Amino acid sequence: MAALAGTTVSAHRRDEYLQAARLAVEPRRVEVQIELTPGIAIAEGIIGDLDRDRDGMLSRDEQQAYVDTMLDAVELRVDGRVLRLERVAYTFPGLDAVRGGEGTIRLRTAARLPRLSEGDHELAFRNRYRPDVSVYLANALVPDGDSIAITAQRRDAAQRDLTIAYVVRNQEGVTTSIWLVGGLGALLLATLVRRREDQREPAARLQAKSRRLAC
Amino acid sequence: MTSSFRLLALTSIGACLLVAAMFAQRGAAPSNTPADTTTRIVSAAQAVLKTLDDAGRAKVQFPTDSAQKAHWSNLPGPMFQRNGLRLGDLTPPQRKAVMDLLSVALSRNGYQKVLEIMRGDEVLRTGGGGRGRGRGPGGGGGPAFGEDEYYLAFVGTPSTTAPWLLQFGGHHLAVNLTLAGSQATMAPSLPAAQPATYTFEGRTVRPLGNENDKAFALVNALDSTQRSQAVLNYRVADLVLGPGQDGRAIQPEGIRGSSLSAAQQTMLWDVVREWVGIMNDAFAEPRMAELRANLGNTYFAWSGPTTNGSAAYFRVQGPTLVIEYAPQSNVDHIHTIYRDPTNDYGAKFAKR
Repeated sequence: MAALAGTTVSAHRRDEYLQAARLAVEPRRVEVQIELTPGIAIAEGIIGDLDRDRDGMLSRDEQQAYVDTMLDAVELRVDGRVLRLERVAYTFPGLDAVRGGEGTIRLRTAARLPRLSEGDHELAFRNRYRPDVSVYLANALVPDGDSIAITAQRRDAAQRDLTIAYVVRNQEGVTTSIWLVGGLGALLLATLVRRREDQREPAARLQAKSRRLAC
Repeated sequence: MTSSFRLLALTSIGACLLVAAMFAQRGAAPSNTPADTTTRIVSAAQAVLKTLDDAGRAKVQFPTDSAQKAHWSNLPGPMFQRNGLRLGDLTPPQRKAVMDLLSVALSRNGYQKVLEIMRGDEVLRTGGGGRGRGRGPGGGGGPAFGEDEYYLAFVGTPSTTAPWLLQFGGHHLAVNLTLAGSQATMAPSLPAAQPATYTFEGRTVRPLGNENDKAFALVNALDSTQRSQAVLNYRVADLVLGPGQDGRAIQPEGIRGSSLSAAQQTMLWDVVREWVGIMNDAFAEPRMAELRANLGNTYFAWSGPTTNGSAAYFRVQGPTLVIEYAPQSNVDHIHTIYRDPTNDYGAKFAKR
């Protein structure tokens, strides 16, 4: 026989709105992925914000309005300069899933970055959406490639604020070097081919002369 | 006299050799090389298939490139509808074959952990958990708890050479064991527990007790300088790389393994071993060796109080490893995740 003592039975989070953000930093772009999962106890309140006409369904307009409201509470800056976050894609769960505490709203947003100099930079992310009921996660993803290297992440205690310190490596310099080396290589090859043709030309002329005499 | 002595001596030697051979035969354990282990797992999987009719085989078997691979969750049904063979729908011999397969595929500790997680869910059911009272999918509308609510699936055909996935899971459990000949990975897998402590047949059971206690021991073994690196100054309320985050890698934080003393490093690997060691030892040993080689790029991070018995989050992360341990508001409801961002579902094996 097994016994359970003093356990509050719940399959998942109850009275908190989990907001998980992941930031992918690229040389000219930042992608911010945000997942929003309301707990069962606060689900009706969130559904009220989502289903504005109370028809039990989420129209495209209602989804878009919710995303825009959420993003209005999100701020992104690079080296102090405000960046404009654009919607890339979003998906909404069914309202029953939200009611059961199992529905996750998934947003993909992105901001263009200005051309940044080689060296140290800071990207600051702030999420002020529904602080009354929310818990937050905010993390930088490991960058693809070598052009960006994250050196530190700083957060407030609640993870509403995340500052990512990172280094931009000179990709243009690398690209220029690749073109330079490639160009020099091509030039060298062309010179060699030309020289070889020049060496073969007298022999070819001699052969042609021989053929004419034979005719 | 001499010939009698010779006869006696030869007989004695022969008897000794016979006894030695008998002891050797009795003591010989089955070979535990990775390839032999895969062969035994495949035989056990085929034994499961033999107990099934066509409909059962169709339920358990999924194509190699199926989306079933990533179809797992910490949630109970029917909030998350699993596919495959439901234990509660099986006959006793079929169910025994499934459990025999798990006992072969996992280590002794791993199999025990799985049983304890499932039994914990049975405690939820009999303790009054869920509106559905464990009546199963469609049985009551609320969460379906209990040992019957676990599912087995094969993604790909069980093979001793080609890659395939043994998937077993239910509420608070997802085991994804990819086998490819002599190689195996259990990434991603999700061992979790609620209740995290219960009594069974008069003894206290803590399915994730070792994970918890070993990590608390490690964080308390750190000096103040090390602790300032390991302990994060922010709350981590949940898994960062839980279900649905396959292949993602977050920037590591915390203290580097190379900044730990030899004794602390041993403690770190003991923590890691609690997850890696769910797999059969034949696969766990090479995996541990691979992880140890990355010590310098492996990090240990902690969030929360450091007194054992408190709800605290921790993470161990290296180039090929992510382990997270996340209490869900209290210590009696724990979610954990084990990943290899470079080899979830054996992505590396497929490339080879």
